[in-house]
Formats: sequence, structure tokens, C-alpha cells
Amino acid sequence: MFKLIKQMDKLENYICQLLLCLFVVLLFMQVILRVFFNYGIPWSEELSRFAFVWFVFLGASYAARLSAHNRVTFHLRMMPDKMRNGVELLGDIFWIAFNTLMTLKSIEVIDSMMEFTYFSPALDWSMAYLYMIFPVSFTLTSLRIIQVNYMKLVCGVKFDDVDEPDLEQDVMSSPASKREQHGNRPLA
Amino acid sequence: MTAPFILFGMFFFLLVIGAPIVVALGASALTVYMAAGDDFVSLVQTAWNAVDSFPIMALPAFILSGALMQSAGISRRLVHIAEVMAGPMAGGLGFSAILASMFFGAISGSGPATTAAVGMLMIPAMVDRGYGRSYSAALTASSGGLGVVIPPSIPMVIYGVTASESITKLFMAGILPGIMLAGGLMITNYVISKKKGYVSGNIHPPGALRKACKDGIWAILAPVVILGGIYSGLFTPTEAAVVSVFYTLFIGVFVHKELSLDGFKESLNSTTWLTGRVLIIMFTATAFGRILVENDIPGMIAQSLLNMTDSLALIWIVVIAFLIFVGMFLETLATIMIVTPVLLPVMVSLGVDPIHFGIVLVCCCEIGFSTPPLGENMFIGSSIAKVSIEEISAKAMPFVLVEILVVVLLAFFPELVLWLPEFFGY
Repeated sequence: MFKLIKQMDKLENYICQLLLCLFVVLLFMQVILRVFFNYGIPWSEELSRFAFVWFVFLGASYAARLSAHNRVTFHLRMMPDKMRNGVELLGDIFWIAFNTLMTLKSIEVIDSMMEFTYFSPALDWSMAYLYMIFPVSFTLTSLRIIQVNYMKLVCGVKFDDVDEPDLEQDVMSSPASKREQHGNRPLA
Repeated sequence: MTAPFILFGMFFFLLVIGAPIVVALGASALTVYMAAGDDFVSLVQTAWNAVDSFPIMALPAFILSGALMQSAGISRRLVHIAEVMAGPMAGGLGFSAILASMFFGAISGSGPATTAAVGMLMIPAMVDRGYGRSYSAALTASSGGLGVVIPPSIPMVIYGVTASESITKLFMAGILPGIMLAGGLMITNYVISKKKGYVSGNIHPPGALRKACKDGIWAILAPVVILGGIYSGLFTPTEAAVVSVFYTLFIGVFVHKELSLDGFKESLNSTTWLTGRVLIIMFTATAFGRILVENDIPGMIAQSLLNMTDSLALIWIVVIAFLIFVGMFLETLATIMIVTPVLLPVMVSLGVDPIHFGIVLVCCCEIGFSTPPLGENMFIGSSIAKVSIEEISAKAMPFVLVEILVVVLLAFFPELVLWLPEFFGY
């Protein structure tokens, strides 16, 4: 049971990795088919775009779990920890409010799309089902924000700034011969 | 006329209380709709339409291929080649670091990734040869920004999508400015090194360069595949990014035999959250930009600029100063998404080519990577070299000034940017 909960913690991450692999492979297939066989699968571009949209919105929720969303923080860094947490909590409440409004509105949109169905051009899928990513991802994001704040304020977990990489290995003090295999945390 | 006040008031309020940029943009747009009593159904449609685009898919693909190149040993071999090329003149090793950033810029579209890849190898090597720690970090942080000017470039992908301009043309236009910025950095490095007595790297045995090139032949071919594919028109930028993912996988698994399953999984993992947090901003920034355009904010800005002066040169100076200022505080891609819908129509109405403006914008963001308080490259330089951000920013000042000079040149002489794409008929 505990293991299941632990896996749930990375739920969005796993789905996203699947979607990422799906659209990258689809696009590669499309290139190969076009360049070498001068042939195109009519639905592959559309399917990869849909996988991509889902990937982005679930990825945003995963980024919320990691507390990785970009904020302007230079003035917050000067505050004492408690004050900073309090101010950021206020910011996060606005975030949850925004997510809630978007969830409600997207459900409304989906409802009306169920009535006046609009189909995607190549795959002929109902867009209403594709739009379901919005209530799901906005709600999940809100849950992740609550989770992060609970971990931060109640359990005292510290979230490092993901843009200030904590290099696994101290490259400066290791001998040159060992420098080659450095921590390979990718950045963008 | 209240909408812009609500929009900006809410936006700055949310930024100050530390709400994420995506929320500051989205919630302020939402507030405008609610204050006017309008339905915000269009926000849901924007959420879909802003992300559902083929060209933006280049972003996750470039992030993924950059991460994989790190794990596959391609980055290390490229940097090594540049390191071996260090000449005997003053600042030789610093020259190599800049060259390494240029090589790396041709496979990666990201500034911080370039700084990390180059800095991991070059900062320790420079410190070993007596270069100051903070100077080494400042040099790599500044040259790491070349990663976004020399194509391929993630910020150019974002600009191309936001401004509906050809990404291939932007990739072409970025080459010369990238070389000019690198040249400026090299001259600065030479002058400073001469004064401080910094010298070259280890004197490498004669065959070292040939050996490094032989070992790194597949790494050298990576930019040929990516850029050659794009310029020849064989691939779109998105497809080129995807091809480079598979090229890297192939080389990493079968040729270098360095890519581990863990490295692969970690690359997928970081691509996930990096893309998620950046591209969701695409949605709220589009909504924000639409309200600005509906209220004719670009027109008002153009008018007030023209009331101030009618010299395009002066306007460029104001715009560049503004962009560098914004870049100091805001994340790079968010800056491009927010600034483009406002400033691009202004500059176009003053007769500026959108490609020209895009390159100047990207170069300003490049400078923002190495200016405090938010300088992503400096964070990385500081954690590698173990020196404070303050020390690095002091040492980075000369580089920043030279880069600003180059950007002003680029703004004043559009031919520098537009000549190459025109020459190749884009």
C-alpha cells in the first residue's frame, strides 16, 4: 500500500515519459518515412501534437510537485524563512484559485462540446475527450501545490531551487583523471 | 481604459508575492475578464491552441537531445577538442572555453546546459593553470550564453512561434551575431589575461588534437546532422531536433557505449518538468498578450516612444536597456513570450524587420543569463567553481559590457543580422 502511494507521487512523471516517447518516436517515424519512402501517415502528426499537449499540461503538474515553476525570487531571498513561506503561501492560494476557476470553466466547455461535437480533422476524435486533460491537470496541480505546502510548512521539508544545481560531485577537488564522469544532471 | 491597469496591477502584485510567472500572467488575464463581467471560455480555448503547435515541439526535443548528449559523452568530447586547441598566447585556455561554448552552442539550444557542459571541464582546468576562480566562472557563464545565439536555439524557437516567423530563418540569422559575440568575449579575455598573466593550458603533445578529433568524430558530426538538415530544407527544426535525439541515442549506445539506462531515464525525467513549466507559460502569456493587443497597448507604447524622439537609434537604445533590465529579473523564455506581443508590433511599425528584432531580443536575453539577480548561467558557474554569485558578477562586468556593445552594433546595422539569410535566399 505504501509502495503504491510512493508510486502515485510520480504518477504524472510516468505518464509524461510515456507521452514524450510516443510523440518523439512518431515524429521520427514520420521523418524516416518521408525522407526514404516519400510516404506520410496521415494521422501521425495530429496524434503526436495531441500527445504533446497532454504531456505539457501533466508536466506542469509534475513541475508543481517539484516546486520547479519559475518565480521572481530575489526579494523573497532577503526575507527570513518564515516570512518567505507565508508570502509564498499567499501566492500559492491565488494559484489554487486560478486552477479551480479553470477546472470549472473547462468542465463547462467540455459539456457544451459534448452537445455540439467537434471532431479532429485527421483522427476524427471528439475534441471534448481531448479537452479532459484540462480539468485533470488543473486539479492535479492544485493537489500538488497543497502537497508541497504541507511538506514545506508542516513537515519542514526544504525545496532546493532547481535552477541552482546541486552537483553530485565536487569537480574542483577531484583529480583531473576522475573529472570525466561528472554528475550528468541535464539542464536547459 | 481600466483593463490595462487591472492587468498590470494584478500581474506585478502576484509577482511580488512570489506566485509563479505562469500564475501572475494567467490570473491577471482572468481578473480582467471577471472585472468586465465577460465569460472566460476563450481562456480554455487558448490553453489548447497555444500549445497545440507543431513548431513548439522542437523545444522538448531539443531539451531531450541536449540531456542525452551529456549522458552519451558527446558534450565531453566536443569540449575536449576545444580544450586541446588552446594556443600558447595569453588567455589561451579562456579562448578554448569560449570556443567550446561555440561548438556546444551548435548542438544545444540552451544557455545553462552549455555553461554546465563547458564549465564542468574548463573551470577546473583554468583554475589548475592559475586563472582566478571567479574569473573562470564568469568567463564560462558569459560564454555559455552563446548556446542560445548560435543555432539551434530554444529561445529562437519560442520567438519564432510567438511572432509567427520562420524558425529556420532565425537559425540562419543567428550565426553571424553569435560569432561576433564570441569574438567580443575573446578580445576581452585576451586583454584581461594579458594584464593578469593568465596563460595557456597544458602544452599538448603534437598529436593530441588529431587524437581528440578522431575520438570525437561522431560528436563533431552532430551539429552537421542537425544544422545541415535544417539549412538544406531536409528537416523542419522540430524534425531535426527529433533526429538528433535518435542520433544521440545511437551514438551513445552503440558507438561511445556510455549511455546508461539511468542516464536515459534521467533525461526523460528532466525534459518532462522543464517542458511542463515553460510551455504552460505559453498558454497564460498568450492570454495576457491578447488582452494587451485588444487594448492597443503596443500602439500606445509606439506613440509615446515617438513623442519622446523620432530617432530609431535612440528608440533601440531604450528598448535594449529595457530588455536587459527585464532579463535581469525574469526567466528567459517567459521574457520572450511576454515581450514579443507588445514590442514586436511597435518595432515593426517603426520599420524594423521582425527577424532583426528577434535576434536582438535573443541576444539581450543572452546577456540576462550572466547578470544578477537571476542569472541562470551564473548559478551554475558558482556551483561548479564554489565562489559566490557576487564575485562572479563583478568579474563578469567587462564581458557584459562588451556584449551590450555588440548588441547595440547589431541593432544599428540590420545587415549584420539579415545578410546571411538573404544570401541563402530565405
